[in-house]
Amino acid sequence: MAATTVSKVPNFHDMLPDAIMSNIFSLVTDTRTRNAMSLVCLKWCKLERSTRKSLALRGNIRDLNQVPVCFQAINNLDLSCLSPWGHPLLESSSNPSLLAKLLSHAFPSVVSLTIYARSPLTLHFLAPEWPKLSHVKLVRWHQRFNAPIGYDFFALFEHCPSLSSIDLSHFYCWTEDLPTAFELYPSIAASLSHLNLLVGHSFTEGYKSHELLSITSACPNLSQLLATCVFDHRFLGFVGDETLLSIASNCPRLSLLHLADSTALSSNSSRADPNKNDEGYASEDARISPTALGDFFESLPLLEELVLDVGNNVRDTWPALELLNSKCPRLKSLKLGQLHGICREIDSSMPAAGVALWKGLESLSIKNSADLTDSALIAISLGCSNLTKFEVQGCNKITKMGMQIFARVLQKTLVDVRISSCKYLNTVCSLQALEPIRDRIQRLHVDCVWESVEQYSQDHEIRGEKEASLKKKAKCCDGSGNGFSSCSDTWTKLKYLSLWIAAGELLNPIRLAGLENCPILEEIQIKVVGDCRNQQKPVFMAEFGLNSLVNYPQLSRMHFDCGDAIGFALTAPRGYADLSLWERFYLNGIENLNLKELNYWPPQDMDVHQRSLSLPAAGLLSQCRSLRKLFIHGTANEHFMSFFLKIPTLRDVQLREDYYPAPENDTTSEMRVDSCYRFQDALNRRHIPD
Amino acid sequence: MADYNNRGEFLLEALNVRVVGQGQSIIVFSHGFGSDQSVWSRVIPSFTRAYRVISFDLMCSGSCDPTNYDFQRYATLDGYVDDLLSFLDALEIDRCAFVGHSVSAMIGLLAAIHRPNLFSRLILIGGSPRFTNDGNYIGGIDPAHMEEVFRRMESNYESWVAGFVPMALGADVPDMALQEFSRTLFSMRPDIALHVARTAFAADLRHVLGLIRVPVCIIQSSVDLSVPPAVAEYMRRHLGGPTVLEFLPTHGHLPHVSSPAPVANAIQQLLRRRF
Repeated sequence: MAATTVSKVPNFHDMLPDAIMSNIFSLVTDTRTRNAMSLVCLKWCKLERSTRKSLALRGNIRDLNQVPVCFQAINNLDLSCLSPWGHPLLESSSNPSLLAKLLSHAFPSVVSLTIYARSPLTLHFLAPEWPKLSHVKLVRWHQRFNAPIGYDFFALFEHCPSLSSIDLSHFYCWTEDLPTAFELYPSIAASLSHLNLLVGHSFTEGYKSHELLSITSACPNLSQLLATCVFDHRFLGFVGDETLLSIASNCPRLSLLHLADSTALSSNSSRADPNKNDEGYASEDARISPTALGDFFESLPLLEELVLDVGNNVRDTWPALELLNSKCPRLKSLKLGQLHGICREIDSSMPAAGVALWKGLESLSIKNSADLTDSALIAISLGCSNLTKFEVQGCNKITKMGMQIFARVLQKTLVDVRISSCKYLNTVCSLQALEPIRDRIQRLHVDCVWESVEQYSQDHEIRGEKEASLKKKAKCCDGSGNGFSSCSDTWTKLKYLSLWIAAGELLNPIRLAGLENCPILEEIQIKVVGDCRNQQKPVFMAEFGLNSLVNYPQLSRMHFDCGDAIGFALTAPRGYADLSLWERFYLNGIENLNLKELNYWPPQDMDVHQRSLSLPAAGLLSQCRSLRKLFIHGTANEHFMSFFLKIPTLRDVQLREDYYPAPENDTTSEMRVDSCYRFQDALNRRHIPD
Repeated sequence: MADYNNRGEFLLEALNVRVVGQGQSIIVFSHGFGSDQSVWSRVIPSFTRAYRVISFDLMCSGSCDPTNYDFQRYATLDGYVDDLLSFLDALEIDRCAFVGHSVSAMIGLLAAIHRPNLFSRLILIGGSPRFTNDGNYIGGIDPAHMEEVFRRMESNYESWVAGFVPMALGADVPDMALQEFSRTLFSMRPDIALHVARTAFAADLRHVLGLIRVPVCIIQSSVDLSVPPAVAEYMRRHLGGPTVLEFLPTHGHLPHVSSPAPVANAIQQLLRRRF
């Protein structure tokens, strides 16, 4: 008996029936975990492949005929990242319909598709293969293909009757295209429940009022609508009271509504908004009255998430917002841009009014509200007691005091805060204001404005000495009750940090400013904005200061966006620095960070519309020896791409020119890189998804 | 490597040769070292309606596959001349106008010596028979300063070979003329860049200028610190065929990038000119 029990090792496969294994596998969504599972044994590999629901295809278009057929259960397929990025998917091949059939044969159950539709032909071949499509996201950063109005959508609408969700937020087309297509396919329009038309400023000025009305009347069943539009009454087709009310009456079922002014989407480029006067008001008022706003809210009782990012002033809005509270009980998330008077002041006799009344609100974002004061902020914190996410931008009357009390009142719930472009909240003040939630906050954005950093760091040293001597006396170091709760600035739970910094400024002061210890910070986003052309050469400043991020030991993902830093690529006049010097300045030190994933936007030369990697950039990036994924949002020549082959762990590289207009002349450099990769990495042969 | 008969075909792909436009007459655009044919992108559209335009990348360009760069073949400019003539033959072109910038001007001049009947005219931008000063000859670039640039390129080469970052840039050199001129030298892989730079700066066409019978049109920026007007004058005096000198109110060594419109206009006029 002893012999039999010893030899019988419990076997996972025998213990769990297949059905249960299959269910367990279906619940795992993380790609790398799935990849690991598939390496255990053949049975697990088959099980994993047959239960994977979501796949992003990477790999070269030339190899499309080798598409894997083992992923039969895929529901959600992303074809937008095939190499070369943005290449016409099927049109360039000799037998597009065969390729389309191959794709549909490999992925028969696709209901959700993301695809780079360079021209209408892509969908012309693909849409008939997947008639059960319910969600489609189209991507196009290149110029619109020369076709009749609406033609981009005809194939899709013709062959996919179950379509209920369309995302065009990364798709460049004319604003007339979609309404025209809806007119021709009314049944599709009528069954749509989600429509995302939130396009960037560079694409278009946004949808005109009559286009919005046409779309909403064609799609009465919309529950989610996001659109860029124009609120400035000086433009044709601006959105005013009537438009808002008509939208609400056309689509009463809306639970998510984003209406953003096209200028609003680009305005986080500069800290001082040129459109605003000193008081913080835009130069023009919108044609939206608080009463109409109130009626608008009244007609949308199912609203859960609302964004009204108006580029022009709407004043005295608190009565409307009170109505919003009472008429839209499900509201969880609210973002208001350029709305003023959102909060009537706390008065000893009157209770706080306006925004400050929502217990149900979880996410609040206030942008460019010129008369938002500290007391209003405090009222909001008292009223919105369940707030987890708060964003404030461009509000020039609030100060550290208000922000600090806000944070203290909401310290049990607040985990995500963004503070930007507020005159009295520079970096040091913002970080100090958030002291009450320093050990809770998970996501943070601040602008890097370094005034008063030196003063703060001196005070900090004195405080540090006091605390050190106190520590010797007291035993407890991170005392929760007393005021010395942070002996050094430790942000215990911070996982994601976002920074805005002006071109030419250094990053080093960040530790002194108050972000000294972020033990679990894993992702950082840095946006550099400004004009490099008139600045002194960054030659004496050896480096921007990426080295200072070494203090964040868990940092593994970075978005480094210098795309709004403008300079000269090849044509710098005598005595001026060109962008290669700037890239050397910015990227110096990046090799010391243990990054696994990097998205990098090179600075651009706007005159020649060039965003391209220079020699020092290529060299510095290739020194990041732990990189697995590298995405460059710009171009790079083949000589420089070859530098990246030196990175041993690199699995995934792509040049993504996802800015409008994407360069039309595709270089063939990248296709050749992929062939190097396939040669180099046997693992990559089977299109390992992202 | 393809055999010699197919070299022309091989080059059409390796050099990213592109043919656009419709028209009887043909223009070939050839860029200077360190860039690629995209420098012509704002000039070429003016010609595609009336001409067939051919553009390509020099083998040293950053946009070409570096494994095709043969250090022996391109140790002198003859390698590039041979490439040009081979792919023009492969396209079966027997007559064209040639627009060349900087080192491509030299390549065009040499090509015109080999095949004078192929070129209806040469249009040279920022062209020079020899870049560095030599005794009384003013090429525009002081050899001692050029040594500084070479030093930096060599240090880049050593860093690159050793696996470090090639951090030196032409802009570090104090000489302002060289900063602009050498900018493009740092857009290539360090070993190729060093080799190209040595080849270009060793080239001296002064003694063969007289052999060129083809009409030559020189487009000169009024302010180009690295290829000054004296060079254009020198060429005009020594070239063997008809020569035209056209001054443009542009600045810098890459006027086709910084001010494409006047350059395109000048080229249009020079193409129509009768010789």
